[in-house]
Amino acid sequence: MPRAAIATSFDPADDERSLIAKAVIGDRVAARALYDAHAARVHRVAYRICGDADLAADLTQDVFVLVFRELPKFRGESAFTTWLHRIAVTVSLNAMRKVKRLRQRETDLDEARHHEHESGDIDPDLREKLNAAIDALPEGLRLALVMHTIEGYTHAEVGKALGIAEGTSKARVFEARARLRQALGGFMTDLEER
Amino acid sequence: MDDKQLDDLLADAARTYRVPPTPPLDAIWARVEAEAFAPVTVRRGGPGWRVLVAAIAASLVLGVAMGRYTTHVNAAATVAAANPAAAPTTANTGTPAQQAAAAPYERSTEEFLGSTALLLAALPRNGSGDQTPTLLPEQAAQLLTTTRLLLDSPVGENPRMKALLQDLELVLAQVARLQPRREKVTLTLISQTLEERELVPRIRSAVADLSTYEY
Repeated sequence: MPRAAIATSFDPADDERSLIAKAVIGDRVAARALYDAHAARVHRVAYRICGDADLAADLTQDVFVLVFRELPKFRGESAFTTWLHRIAVTVSLNAMRKVKRLRQRETDLDEARHHEHESGDIDPDLREKLNAAIDALPEGLRLALVMHTIEGYTHAEVGKALGIAEGTSKARVFEARARLRQALGGFMTDLEER
Repeated sequence: MDDKQLDDLLADAARTYRVPPTPPLDAIWARVEAEAFAPVTVRRGGPGWRVLVAAIAASLVLGVAMGRYTTHVNAAATVAAANPAAAPTTANTGTPAQQAAAAPYERSTEEFLGSTALLLAALPRNGSGDQTPTLLPEQAAQLLTTTRLLLDSPVGENPRMKALLQDLELVLAQVARLQPRREKVTLTLISQTLEERELVPRIRSAVADLSTYEY
């Protein structure tokens, strides 16, 4: 549905609960509004998990198809965002396991780095080193770190999405940070001596 | 490196780590809308493939069982009347009981031929460039099971129907084994078989003649 049609028929005052109720009964305008509100972040999470733009687009599609099919079962016991992102992470992880593209992602990362936003505060070499160190983390640690520290999920949300205890999520982030510190320590010393 | 330095780095990473290219959100939505909100008329219109094929198979199994039972009983009764000492060795064809037992075969065969014709029509033509719908091999595998049941049933005793079923068995086996990487080669073979054996016209002819068959 074109965006222009939405602009005329979607009432911005509708809250998320109302949009969900309308989407459940097949209101595509409401469904599109929900999609517009969350698709970019779902895509970003999928991309950060899989590192492949095409796959991330496919995963975003799969996530929302599943979300709209399962929406009647959403009881509102957790926030819609939490429920949605749990589906997003689960779909992304399952797809990664299926297509086994984890090993191929390094080639895609070169392309991805062209899209990275530059920030003036951090030395570009250090940033590159950090990103490489994050990619080199074991998958469980990397996912917990990306979801909590980079994407801003709470440990409870990370735990639900990854199927681990909240405490395990905390422990994984702690361990990931320790490994990053170790990986970057020598480089930081060199940098300070320059 | 202290925690403060790492926090700064990770805050930067939130902006710079694997930042995706701008996603094609409108294109993704179009696919989501088509898939998630697609009308379900096909499902409402009748039973799915699995249900249909399962029903055909179930009625065949039931038909075979009924046929064997009634044939056995009739043959035993006939032979017993003529010669109580002789063992029953042949079926008593053409009796009302046997005709009644043949009814399920007729219906199942008709349904099977209709489903097979639909599947063959859904196959991409050789060189058309269309992709084979992903469900076709699965549907073909289910129909293949039905073909073999029919071949073992009284339907398979009719020479014309037996020849048709054997040819269909070959084609369905090929469709059931369709693989994306070798699809073109296999589709060429299937097309050749369909043309050489004139399968589609024979299916039509068989359906038209079904009511005249005696099993």
